[in-house]
Amino acid sequence: MRRLVLVRLAWAIPILFGVSIVSFLLVRALPGDFAEQVAGTMPGATPEMLDQQRKNLGLDGPIWQQYWSWLTSAFGGDLGTSFATNRPVTTELFGRLAVTAELTLIAAILALLLGGTTGLISARLRGKAEWIVRGLNGFLVAVPNFVVATLIVLLAGLYLPQLSVFGFTPISEDLLANIGSLLLPALSLALAISATISENTRAAVLEVSSQDFVMVARAKGLRRGNILRRYLIKNSMTPVITVAGLEYASLLGGSIVVESIFNIPGMGQLLFDSVTSRDYPVIQGIVLLVAVVVVLVNVAVDIAYARVDARVSYE
Amino acid sequence: MAFVLLAIVVAGPWLAPYPAELTSPQSLAGPSAEHLLGTDSIGRDVLSRMIIGGRATLSITVIAVVLALLIGAILGLLAGYLGGAVDQAIMRVLDVLFAFPAFLLAVAVVAALGPTIPNLILTIAIVYTPSMARVVRGPVLSVKRWDHVEAARSVGLSEFRIATRHILPMVVSPILVETSLMLSRAIFTITALSFLGLGPPPPDPNWGGELSSGRQFMELAPMNVIAPAAAIVFATLTFIVLANGLRDRFDVAGQR
Repeated sequence: MRRLVLVRLAWAIPILFGVSIVSFLLVRALPGDFAEQVAGTMPGATPEMLDQQRKNLGLDGPIWQQYWSWLTSAFGGDLGTSFATNRPVTTELFGRLAVTAELTLIAAILALLLGGTTGLISARLRGKAEWIVRGLNGFLVAVPNFVVATLIVLLAGLYLPQLSVFGFTPISEDLLANIGSLLLPALSLALAISATISENTRAAVLEVSSQDFVMVARAKGLRRGNILRRYLIKNSMTPVITVAGLEYASLLGGSIVVESIFNIPGMGQLLFDSVTSRDYPVIQGIVLLVAVVVVLVNVAVDIAYARVDARVSYE
Repeated sequence: MAFVLLAIVVAGPWLAPYPAELTSPQSLAGPSAEHLLGTDSIGRDVLSRMIIGGRATLSITVIAVVLALLIGAILGLLAGYLGGAVDQAIMRVLDVLFAFPAFLLAVAVVAALGPTIPNLILTIAIVYTPSMARVVRGPVLSVKRWDHVEAARSVGLSEFRIATRHILPMVVSPILVETSLMLSRAIFTITALSFLGLGPPPPDPNWGGELSSGRQFMELAPMNVIAPAAAIVFATLTFIVLANGLRDRFDVAGQR
């Protein structure tokens, strides 16, 4: 097990390096000079001040040197200073990251519950239930999350005007109200993904059901509930976990739009605000952080994969 | 379904009952014989804006995906056919790009380049090139070991000719399936970008922008939101159905 974790982490390191290069270049490749961008926020900057600024920012060296100093300070937790608020990017990010992590986690749980149950239902019951679920899935994958979110807001506005869909309660105030305020945004994120998970669950359960060990269990006269729990669900988990892990990246991407629709102070909203105000250090920080999270989630998925299915090994 | 989309792209301005910018005295009107889908907050015809906006949204999507297809197919072919160090290099770079959620990458690139139509096309092409390259590489790896490739080589054909004439045609079906899937994902990206105000510059209409601006008065005129929402879902569904149809036709296994 420990070996597996190490192998996966070793795989992640070059990827993380590449990720940092892309995040760095994305902002440095901007038209215009980074120092001018910074100075643009200070009125009446003279050419001398610009030169000074370049020195301060370490922009006078060759590009690889700039990258190296950016990377080493990023490792020390210093991602620069926000143009907009003049506070360190790291400070800006972490509170937001927690909110987005919570939102996407709730969405992932919703998607797994919805997709898992409907997938199981359509695989076990067959017939009409199967076609209803599959038809619905086919439709849901085609509805983008921001469309779902907009329609939820519209429906709530038309039929439940007393419900406040936009309010966000911080977790420190009231845990239940906090989860409640994230439920609708999480649902908008979860629907399309739950459809994918549902289809994959169905396929996995059907495949596992036809295997010998399930037939043996049935022949031994084990109760249906027992077979379902001990054999089917456990063995159908592997592909489902993989899909859920892959879809986590799209949850993070989707949270950008959904957070700004529901006015949730998460990382997506921060990214949107920073794009509007051209706050490049913050954009860079978010891009880097999210990509690191995605890589780590992928590693975690691979490890979970091996835990559930003993046949998987990495030599 | 695909014909409706095609008609919008080709003949949009002639199909629309009114010019996109024409305002009428009734604003936020409900559906009527004059305005089949009602009017928006400054009295513009919603149906016309849908049709003309669809043209912008769909043509950006299609051009971007074609671009991603070209670059991705070349990269995938190179990686799969040449193998070795080239393959390693290309695939590692793609792995890195895969670490960014597609939409996050799109937002960041548009933010860096600025939201103009050429930049939007470029952005979406960048975002979807990696998955195309990966889809092409897989089958190329197996096709290049087939007998007819061996035969072509023994006759002394050039590497370029083998790659383009004897391998590429064999991997066309997964490419087509992936292309239509990619269209459905790209339409999500472009409409979501426009929804955030990072789409084609106003006042020209597009679906994402209409959906976003329709929200302002949606309790009064729900059609302003429902129409673009339905249009986006319709287009996405069309491309997915197309992909499934192609997959059944060519019998491509759902492998990635």
